[in-house]
Amino acid sequence: MTVEEIFAALEGKFDVKREPLDKWGITAVVAAPYLHNAVQFLKEESGIKFDMLVDIAGIDYLTYPNHEGPRFAVSYAFKSMKNPGARIRLKVLVSEENLKVPTISDLYANANWYEREVYDQFGVIFEGHPDLRRLLNHVEFVGHPLRKDYPAQKRQWLSTNDYLLPELEKRLEELGYKVIQRSKEVETNDNEFLEGSIKE
Amino acid sequence: MIVLDPNGEKLNLMPLNVGPSHPATHGCLRFLTALDGETIVASVEEIGYLHRGFEKMVERGTWQQVVPYTDRLNYCSAIMNNIAFCRAVENMFGVEIPERCKVLRVIVNELSRINDHFVCVAAAFQDLGGTTPFMYAFNPREEIMCIWEKLTGARLTNSFARIGGLYRDSYEGFEQDVLAALNSTEKALKDLHACLDRNRIFLDRTVGIGKISAEKAISYGWTGPCLRASGVASDLRKDEPYYDYETYDWEVVVGTQGDCNDRLQVRLAEIEESVKIVRQALKRLAPGPVDIVDPRIRVPSHKLAYQDMEGLIGRFKSVYEGIRVPEGEYYCGSECANGELGFTIISDGSGHPYRIKVRPPCLTQFAAFHELVEGGLLADSMAVLSGLNIIAGELDR
Amino acid sequence: MGNEAEKPNIITSSLDFLVNWGRSNSLWPFPYGTACCAIEFMSTEVGRYDLSRIGSEYVRFTPRQSDVLLVSGTITYKQAPILKRIYEQMAEPRWVIAMGACACSGGFYDCYCTVPGIDHIIPVDVYIGGCPSRPEAFFDAMFDLQKKIKDESYMKQRAESVKEQLEMIKVKTAEAKCEAKTAIHEKVVDIKDFMKEKQENLVKKAQFWKE
Repeated sequence: MTVEEIFAALEGKFDVKREPLDKWGITAVVAAPYLHNAVQFLKEESGIKFDMLVDIAGIDYLTYPNHEGPRFAVSYAFKSMKNPGARIRLKVLVSEENLKVPTISDLYANANWYEREVYDQFGVIFEGHPDLRRLLNHVEFVGHPLRKDYPAQKRQWLSTNDYLLPELEKRLEELGYKVIQRSKEVETNDNEFLEGSIKE
Repeated sequence: MIVLDPNGEKLNLMPLNVGPSHPATHGCLRFLTALDGETIVASVEEIGYLHRGFEKMVERGTWQQVVPYTDRLNYCSAIMNNIAFCRAVENMFGVEIPERCKVLRVIVNELSRINDHFVCVAAAFQDLGGTTPFMYAFNPREEIMCIWEKLTGARLTNSFARIGGLYRDSYEGFEQDVLAALNSTEKALKDLHACLDRNRIFLDRTVGIGKISAEKAISYGWTGPCLRASGVASDLRKDEPYYDYETYDWEVVVGTQGDCNDRLQVRLAEIEESVKIVRQALKRLAPGPVDIVDPRIRVPSHKLAYQDMEGLIGRFKSVYEGIRVPEGEYYCGSECANGELGFTIISDGSGHPYRIKVRPPCLTQFAAFHELVEGGLLADSMAVLSGLNIIAGELDR
Repeated sequence: MGNEAEKPNIITSSLDFLVNWGRSNSLWPFPYGTACCAIEFMSTEVGRYDLSRIGSEYVRFTPRQSDVLLVSGTITYKQAPILKRIYEQMAEPRWVIAMGACACSGGFYDCYCTVPGIDHIIPVDVYIGGCPSRPEAFFDAMFDLQKKIKDESYMKQRAESVKEQLEMIKVKTAEAKCEAKTAIHEKVVDIKDFMKEKQENLVKKAQFWKE
């Protein structure tokens, strides 16, 4: 089974379109509601099992010449371990008004961090994501830096590091533990949290 | 913090923060652990301490100006990143680079791989308390650095590859230098194996530590030596061959256990394979051009620019406006020292990259870190971390 | 110390000489290595360059036992508070070396996330250029630092010598904070609400389990 045939199957099932910009491989543009099912199909049912998620990239088409349609896009790259060399990409177009894409972090473990990164850099919200926080930028960051309208030199000061303890408690709960008494460090004074180490 | 464990027993856990400035977190990684005695019950990771805005910066320059930025992704093997990026752009153009360029690229690629693996193994033993292997591993590394100095002018961040060729041809005596470096590499390998293979302390600290199954590793998107240590023979140089890698005589190194020891041993064995490839490639190194002759892609040489009007115009346009990469979207992955380094490139046909997304191999490996350390001792987490070889530069970009 | 003792005389100057000799020949670095320059620092330590020739081979990874804070690599805004805290934890006398273009001025990362030079956060004694700096350049900086230490007086409070720099940094910090405050205000409210909500949820959960 070739990737072309899989694309044809996707076309029949999920009404995908071929992305004309990708002249070197196969990119299927899929509507956001079908994304989860399409990915599941690629991973489990199709002839070539695309069992590795290689990358998720956000794209902002704000200044792209002659671009029509939604402003953002999220592009997924998959590859197959059993059939070396078989790769396929999916693309979801996201409009600025409705920045929502279903998560695929339940299918691929590494989608968790990739989606957090896209959220961080572009502000695309992944519905159903277990822990949608910023990944690369700090907690006090305002805005989404890789959007084309974010000025590259707009610097943002961080007063102190985040404590990460709420996330640790979340992880403990995932593992089946129950927090009875929180550690002292969590209940910090709000002022201290904001003042931090760098004092005037 | 006081918690109830799944059996309903009361436990008093201590949260302990490791990093971002910690000797074993090379670069700046941070993880917060909940400790029960010395056992890690839960761990969460935080990254982004070296987020330097690679993807925003490259949008401001021309296509050639991306190359120095790629140096700083995985700074232990800078040339590999250059080549991975240039290969992606060349594929978009659909051009074939000359034969000598291919062979030279294979040679510097594999020498960089040797360099990178040596740093990883050396740092791993330094973290586990052994200083001698650190010294052994850095001797051949310094020799390779000397070759880089002669070849590219820089020790670490070389910017050697160019889109459609190389910065320059090799110098006189390059082959002898490489052969000498290979010999000392083999000697260092022998020394390292003598230090480690039957070292009780080292084996106790690494065997069975940080195990991961092949299915889980694939689900986490692991690539490179770490995935191969789990028993999956996946190598882009064999699977999707480029630069005639399939015609060289070498093997994909595969581990069995997927533990920390395997990850380090796979790296050492890969150095041997790289030595093999370089020796074969040196024999294929025939004289010829290293750059493609096309002023739309590669800057015309000085000689042409001074004697020919067309060459002068080509040089001016190429430097001033930048090359124009065909419009479109493309993903291209290359096998780098840590795994698959991929570039998702979106070009709008102008002289500047519209968007370049890096797929760093480290990110997926560090994302699985909590799975590896939970249930183990705190001291083991150091062994796991250095076995994964996380390079902050490409982790955070 | 009284004022009389601060005037240099034969005893104090000999003491200065002795103390400075000791200090300059056993500079223990704290390698705050973040990026590429840290790899070059590793090369500096090993065989070919051998940092122990000038008594600095003993790399300490705790700020409390080290004399020189060696900042090698890019410092991002996410890291700035940590660097500041580590500097504050170091005991006097302390010196700072900014290694590489990124630590000196931000290098070619002129971006939303990188600090344009660590002298926005902490006072710096020696700057080294290069991207990354060569090991030879690092040695040069260490020699410069040794010279600088030999000129210092043991009697004078070291803190005063960096007072000016510290004040400048304070002004810079205040400016940056003013700028940030306007932008951040919204976000701060968000974080507060978020933390409150989380806490409430946790309290609820705890009560539920107790029952």
